[in-house]
Amino acid sequence: MPTRQPSAGFRLLEHTADIGIEAWGPQLGDLFEQAALGLKSLLIGTSPVAEAQTSPVRLDADDPGELLVAWLNEIIFLFETQNLVPGSFRIEQVDRTGLQALVCNEAFAPDRHTVERQVKAATYHQLYLGKEADGWHARIYLDL
Amino acid sequence: MTIKLQKIDEWRWRIPREGDMRTEGLVYASRAMIRALQQEQALEQVRNVATLPGIVGPALAMPDIHWGYGFPIGGVAAFDAEHGVVSPGGVGYDINCGVRLLRSELEADALQPKLENLANSLFQKVPSGVGSHRSDLRLTRTEERHVLELGADWAVRQGFGNDTDLDHIEARGTLPGADPDLVSERAMERGRNQLGTLGSGNHFLEIQRVETIHDEEAARALGLFPGQVTVSIHTGSRGLGYQVCDDFLKVMQRAARKYEISLPDRQLCCAPLQSPEARDYLAAMAGAANYAFANRQMITSQVRETFEQVLQLSPADLRLSVIYDVCHNIAKWEEHQVDGKKRRLCVHRKGATRAFPPGHPETPAAYRHIGQPVLIPGDMGRYSYVMLGTEAALAETFGSSCHGAGRVLSRRAAKKRARGHDIIAELAAQGILVRAAGRATVAEEIPEAYKDVAEVVNVMEQAGLGRIVARLKPLAVIKG
Repeated sequence: MPTRQPSAGFRLLEHTADIGIEAWGPQLGDLFEQAALGLKSLLIGTSPVAEAQTSPVRLDADDPGELLVAWLNEIIFLFETQNLVPGSFRIEQVDRTGLQALVCNEAFAPDRHTVERQVKAATYHQLYLGKEADGWHARIYLDL
Repeated sequence: MTIKLQKIDEWRWRIPREGDMRTEGLVYASRAMIRALQQEQALEQVRNVATLPGIVGPALAMPDIHWGYGFPIGGVAAFDAEHGVVSPGGVGYDINCGVRLLRSELEADALQPKLENLANSLFQKVPSGVGSHRSDLRLTRTEERHVLELGADWAVRQGFGNDTDLDHIEARGTLPGADPDLVSERAMERGRNQLGTLGSGNHFLEIQRVETIHDEEAARALGLFPGQVTVSIHTGSRGLGYQVCDDFLKVMQRAARKYEISLPDRQLCCAPLQSPEARDYLAAMAGAANYAFANRQMITSQVRETFEQVLQLSPADLRLSVIYDVCHNIAKWEEHQVDGKKRRLCVHRKGATRAFPPGHPETPAAYRHIGQPVLIPGDMGRYSYVMLGTEAALAETFGSSCHGAGRVLSRRAAKKRARGHDIIAELAAQGILVRAAGRATVAEEIPEAYKDVAEVVNVMEQAGLGRIVARLKPLAVIKG
């Protein structure tokens, strides 16, 4: 990955039809949090979220990349099927094949929340997740 | 990565076989399109598809090709039944995303005074936007299973349409072999209240006017005349399909390791067609495809009802009938002649439309003398096309054609271009009413974000892969 950024963060990646997220952080948990914040920005922009409730998430995967795909797809699933708008993300425990987290969210309120666009799914296209000298980095593309 | 390209003729470009490629790539495009394609990663994706086991013929790309995820959008790849693979990424998340075209007895000029009212009513009646659902229709578990098994036929049995509709749908609106038991609980949950909804992104419902007729005899056979009102519906299998794809991508990651298939991109994960993983995927995919056929059938019914109410016309006066309904994200078992031999192939079309010629047994009886209708939507500001499949398409592209305009601008670039413009007002000034649910959608879907679909269909026709019948102009567009 070309970027070398301090601490934790995310940025969006250009793609002709879709959009990607590049996320990074000192710990694996930071990276998962940042990738989720990237997804949130795509879903609802900067709409404020009251975080009235939490949805517990527990996931298993064969490798860290697959875990990241599953994590973002879980947030999309909660948004689509339960109308829950994501606010913040608390990563309680994460390793290369398992994640335990809380999605702090609230029910969609049309007067306060703007839905920016549909995100169909997180994909495996050019998926990257790895530990580098300055921490964890990931790249993930979403199907819009 | 720079991809080598050899010009075959004005409209055909070869990606020669090199390295781990098992076959060559064949791209249909004009020189200008090729120049644009070399700026992105779509050609590399064609190359990647050519590395998959059991691929038959070249890895194909239609002129609306653009960078997708894994497979390119606008890609066609056929795989041998014995040695080939099936890849959920080669179908896409929106399984059986497709287009349906309805014709009417109305003339656009007569509709004009009520157009705004009609657009508003359709926007209200056909749920659109992210997570759109029908508050009046939540399927029971048993009903949803029937939808997956029967497709459009389920909707017709419930009173949403008639048998004649089914005669004018690819595969009569039901793919065989669907098994609801192979569709996850999670996918079923996503599908439960989304039947009859448009969704978001590039999906739309459009009222159109027949602008020009290019082939009078064929137009007559399709029931098209100049100035006529038509309706296009572009949507697919909604969250249910996305979930089936995601579920099976996980299965195929493991399958690719198990069967030792090396992948240039994880999204190309696949399994041998003879494996249980492939059989399960195809049965679940057929279920999702059937959901999509039922979805477009339900929306058709809602469109008919809304036209009747707003225009105060009877069904007999309106005669909103189905011209055709095509899938453009699908994998299908088909028989094709390859080097003089008949072979059973699994043809993946991702952002590509089947385009069978006159006389083909799968071309509907009503159109057997002219060929299968191919429906090519353009962007919301320009026009869409009705084409017909040809013998050349059957021989060269496993009976496939393009599916739309294809994007040229990234979403961010499109938004930048749209900044400072009131897109809805500008389109209204051109006589196109737009009603949209999502804020960003309109900016990301501006006409300039797409290739001019006229150039795309021109390449198809020049290459002999399709015949243009008519051009349709948007009058009102409902976007998700």
